[in-house]
Amino acid sequence: MHKIIRWPGLIAFFVITSLISAILILFLDFWIKLAVEKGLASTTGAEVNIAQVSHTFSPFGVTLKGIQLTDPATPGQNQVQADEVAAQIELGPLLLRKVIINDLKVKGVQFAQPRESEGAVYRSAASVIKEKFQQTFDPQNLPSVDDILAQSQLKTTKAIAQTQAAYTKNSKVLAEKYAQLPSKDSLENYKKRLAAITSTDYKNPLELAKAKEEFDTLRQQINTDKAKLTDFKDAVSAAKSDMAPRLAELKSAPGQDYDQLQGLIAADEVAIKDVTTMVFGDKAGEFSQYVLAAYELAAPMLASSKEGKLAEQAYDGRWIAFDDTTPLPDFLIRNADISLKWRNESVLSVWHDITNEHDKIGRPTTFKVDSSASSLWQSLKLNGDFWLNDSGVKAYQDWNLQGLALTDVSLLDQKKLSSKLLKGLLSSSGKASINKNVISGSSNAALSQLQLMATGSNHLTKVIAETLSGLSNLTINSDISGILGAMDLRFSSDLDKQLTSAILSNLSPEKSSKLADLKHKLNAKTEGTLGVSDEEMSQWLDWEKLADGDLGTVQKLLDAKLNSVVDDKKDELKEKLKNKLKGQLFG
Amino acid sequence: MSLLAKLLKALNSDASPWQLAFGIMLGMMMGLTPFIGLHSLIIVFVVLFFRVNLTTFLLAYALFSGLTLLLNPLMANIGEFLLVASDLNELWTSLYNSTFGQLTQFYHTLTLGSLLCSLILAPFILVSSKILVVQYRVRFMLWVNKLKIVQFVKGSSLYQLYQAVGE
Repeated sequence: MHKIIRWPGLIAFFVITSLISAILILFLDFWIKLAVEKGLASTTGAEVNIAQVSHTFSPFGVTLKGIQLTDPATPGQNQVQADEVAAQIELGPLLLRKVIINDLKVKGVQFAQPRESEGAVYRSAASVIKEKFQQTFDPQNLPSVDDILAQSQLKTTKAIAQTQAAYTKNSKVLAEKYAQLPSKDSLENYKKRLAAITSTDYKNPLELAKAKEEFDTLRQQINTDKAKLTDFKDAVSAAKSDMAPRLAELKSAPGQDYDQLQGLIAADEVAIKDVTTMVFGDKAGEFSQYVLAAYELAAPMLASSKEGKLAEQAYDGRWIAFDDTTPLPDFLIRNADISLKWRNESVLSVWHDITNEHDKIGRPTTFKVDSSASSLWQSLKLNGDFWLNDSGVKAYQDWNLQGLALTDVSLLDQKKLSSKLLKGLLSSSGKASINKNVISGSSNAALSQLQLMATGSNHLTKVIAETLSGLSNLTINSDISGILGAMDLRFSSDLDKQLTSAILSNLSPEKSSKLADLKHKLNAKTEGTLGVSDEEMSQWLDWEKLADGDLGTVQKLLDAKLNSVVDDKKDELKEKLKNKLKGQLFG
Repeated sequence: MSLLAKLLKALNSDASPWQLAFGIMLGMMMGLTPFIGLHSLIIVFVVLFFRVNLTTFLLAYALFSGLTLLLNPLMANIGEFLLVASDLNELWTSLYNSTFGQLTQFYHTLTLGSLLCSLILAPFILVSSKILVVQYRVRFMLWVNKLKIVQFVKGSSLYQLYQAVGE
């Protein structure tokens, strides 16, 4: 036996394998650090740093400290960072390449924190071009009145086109119908023929029958003409009904266009409409990032971990995935406590069943925040869940924040306009849902006890700054829309209206003159159309009056004379017939 | 020079032809298949635990590793053909969902293809290697040893060193 077996070889085997294992274990923390940094970086598209990694074997757990995920849009700051992440991982499923974490504790999560040095970006992120606002505030580039009229989608132009088209259509129809109406001669002819029928004394039934036949023919002709007259009258009524709202619209269009375009003359329409977004949008967006962090961060990460398996390729050969028949998902965190740090306050969120395969576990990922009074707010409640499957994300979330104290918040720091919130209280509630990756929702943020400081460098921004400084309360409504990963937030408030009226009441003489010119040109546009329309309408009304008169005449002939004549003759013949019969029977 | 010295020493040694043949066979298997995998651990265990000639194992490993540059696409295609075969899908799925299956990495086309090819080639390589070693020792060893190049190699310090270590 010993001729076949090489005992020193067995020792050598164990020595070699032990040595390799020892090296692996010795550098296990390094491998984990490398793997997590690389994995997260491929997901976020930017540099990921982990300061320290440690592990335990029983139970198997990994602790990561000082985790920083660079924001690809702003490499100077972290998209998210955490002081410590500790996870207890089940070893058995790891052999089946399934990461099952029983308990995860994340401490000190913070968003949008500055980095010590700029992080590397591997995939470019859509950057916000703030220079656009600079151009918005530049009063040098005011458009001319003609440019505005040429480039704008004017209601006046549209109303003129619609009115002219309606006139052309109705005039054609009415002219055709008017041409078919009976002439005055025809009506006179009817009268003469009727008079002839009614004045004749019919001696026998044959003459009467002939007269009746002629009378029926005449009646048919008069009825046909009556139908034409009625039809024409109806057409005139329809044309009037069609034209009335169009004319009203045409008359009011210049006024509406003036209201719309005066913003372009006074400053820039976009500037006025978007002041709420411009001044409060960044901070409100930042706040939304907190409350929607679950969708914006966790869900895409989980989704990409699923895609990673398919993308895995070897240089030689390839990995083929088969159906996973095991009841465990590839990734599952059964319980997680994530502690969010914000202005030295800690907010604890409790999560359950974080996975990317909810169909497999049959329940959604749930998360909850219930924070009572702190030095910063009175209460904060947040509930949500999400379910990922092949058709996308289905999620729901609602939140209610009461009395968040805001102090020294820089809202806008631009060359021509800067504003700062010195003091204020924020209360916000809202809900958002996601169905097949489409986000929808709404929220409102009520700012009270406001103390704003704003400064402007030109006439326009000074007016805006003055209005902002005078604010004490403001309610901002937000519409949440878009798709997962590209959330769109729209803000509205009565601040925009306040600013528009403030700006318009502080116009320079040059702008006032432009506004007057605009008003004049808009009114001139409708004058021609309205003039033509008046003439056409007068003609239609004349035609209608004539048709009315003719119709009355015809109706009178039909109803009064013809019927009575025939009836009289009928009665007369009947009487004659009776007398004749009496004579024969009793005579 | 080093390789030739190693080979000459192994062939001229007292090691049995089977030891040399097994070395060549296992070296072929190790060389043709990807280095990282459960199969490599098993081969190394067999080579070290049993009296397999290490020189021929290492030489065969080096030789067949070089051949993979040509053979890899073919072996990967064989693996792919087997893995995507619908008749075998049930077998692969159950293996894929087992710990053993995951450890073998059978679902990698090249791993499966090369392992299968090397297993099919193994008996032929083993028997032919054994015959070649025997024939070499009987017919060519004396003739080869007389060659000037061989004498030069044998006279080199490297060969002496191998010889010393071997004894």
